[in-house]
Amino acid sequence: MSDNAESPTETQKDDPSIQHAATEHTGASDEKKKIDVLLKAVGDAPIMKTKKWSVERGRTVQSLAQFISRFLKLEASEQLFIYVNQSFAPSPDQEVGVLFECFGSDGKLVLHYCKSQAWG
Amino acid sequence: MTSLVVKNELNASCRHLMNVIMADDKDVLRDVWFGRIPACFTLSPEETTEREAEPYYLLLPRVSYLTLVTDKVKKHFLRVMKAEDSTEMWFEYEGTPLKWHYPIGVLFDLHASNTALPWNVTVHFKNFPEHDLLHCTSNSVIEAHFMSCIKEADALKHKGQVINDMQKKDHKQLWMGLQNDKFDQFWAMNRKLMEYPTDEGGFRYIPFRMYQTMGERPFIQKLFRPVSPEGHTLTLGDLLKELFPAAICAEDEPKRFQVMIHGIEPLLETPIQWLSEHLSHPDNFLHISIIPAPSD
Repeated sequence: MSDNAESPTETQKDDPSIQHAATEHTGASDEKKKIDVLLKAVGDAPIMKTKKWSVERGRTVQSLAQFISRFLKLEASEQLFIYVNQSFAPSPDQEVGVLFECFGSDGKLVLHYCKSQAWG
Repeated sequence: MTSLVVKNELNASCRHLMNVIMADDKDVLRDVWFGRIPACFTLSPEETTEREAEPYYLLLPRVSYLTLVTDKVKKHFLRVMKAEDSTEMWFEYEGTPLKWHYPIGVLFDLHASNTALPWNVTVHFKNFPEHDLLHCTSNSVIEAHFMSCIKEADALKHKGQVINDMQKKDHKQLWMGLQNDKFDQFWAMNRKLMEYPTDEGGFRYIPFRMYQTMGERPFIQKLFRPVSPEGHTLTLGDLLKELFPAAICAEDEPKRFQVMIHGIEPLLETPIQWLSEHLSHPDNFLHISIIPAPSD
């Protein structure tokens, strides 16, 4: 198995709550604690070298945004906006697991990120 | 015609709803919009003041957001405080910080529906609970949140096609209608979001959120179609059976949970499509509170 990319997480859990998705996951099971997220850059946002991540269902959008910001080494003053379906920005306290259930396709949740408001 | 079951001792908005049981569906829209909760705001005893702070009474719209309708509360308490102490105002009920980004009616039903009125809310200006609450620095934050909810709801109902076909000024009209409590202005636009193709039985999926006070997660939100594959109209009971079966009990069992929408308990036989069209909040979500049944 290829190396796991672990996020510098604030949680005290032993397992990193965000891991590089090394393998393809087939289907979506309620029992799986993690869901696959595909991150796509919009506008002048830097492109993540690793785009596909395994994220714990309970992780919030805000937490994921902070992870992306750190990974991309953005300035503290730079904002990051996250969009689902290229149409709405979920609430920062929304769980990625819920977004995956409602808006995931082909076994993954596609999230677009940008440094300025893209879809209002 | 759909009938609604109403509890006895609820507030004025619910009694009014009871009076319109057999009225037009459109009247239900109006009663939902104009639902009010009498609240009493008291400054937290931990806040230091230059003079004594009197409580402030206010009728809160169920369908709005705390930070949108409490400017007068802020002005009232800032009058008795030192200028340097006026940081972001936040609210708490019996120790629980109140999330401003949840509709007011949802917060009340979830935390205080079975207690005596007025709703006693504590006001704070210090020690903002960063882990429990989002910041709300201006009305544009509320507007952005509100519009995002509407877009998310439309993504579920119509794959986002209806909201995307609207112009920016139409989106603005939805927000201004809520902000200024203008039912007609709001519904002139919102009715488009409540339409569906004539050959379908309803929306693609129903936008809903189910809240519990003692739950692991903030709320339950899943994909749910209003019509079964066999073509049957699905009901509130069907939704609960799938996502919260503990709320459904046999006839001889004592009821453990109340399933509350806008302060009332709709019959479980009510079609979920009808509930979505008529009892959704202005954000186009059906917010359902599941609370422990009171032990009489």
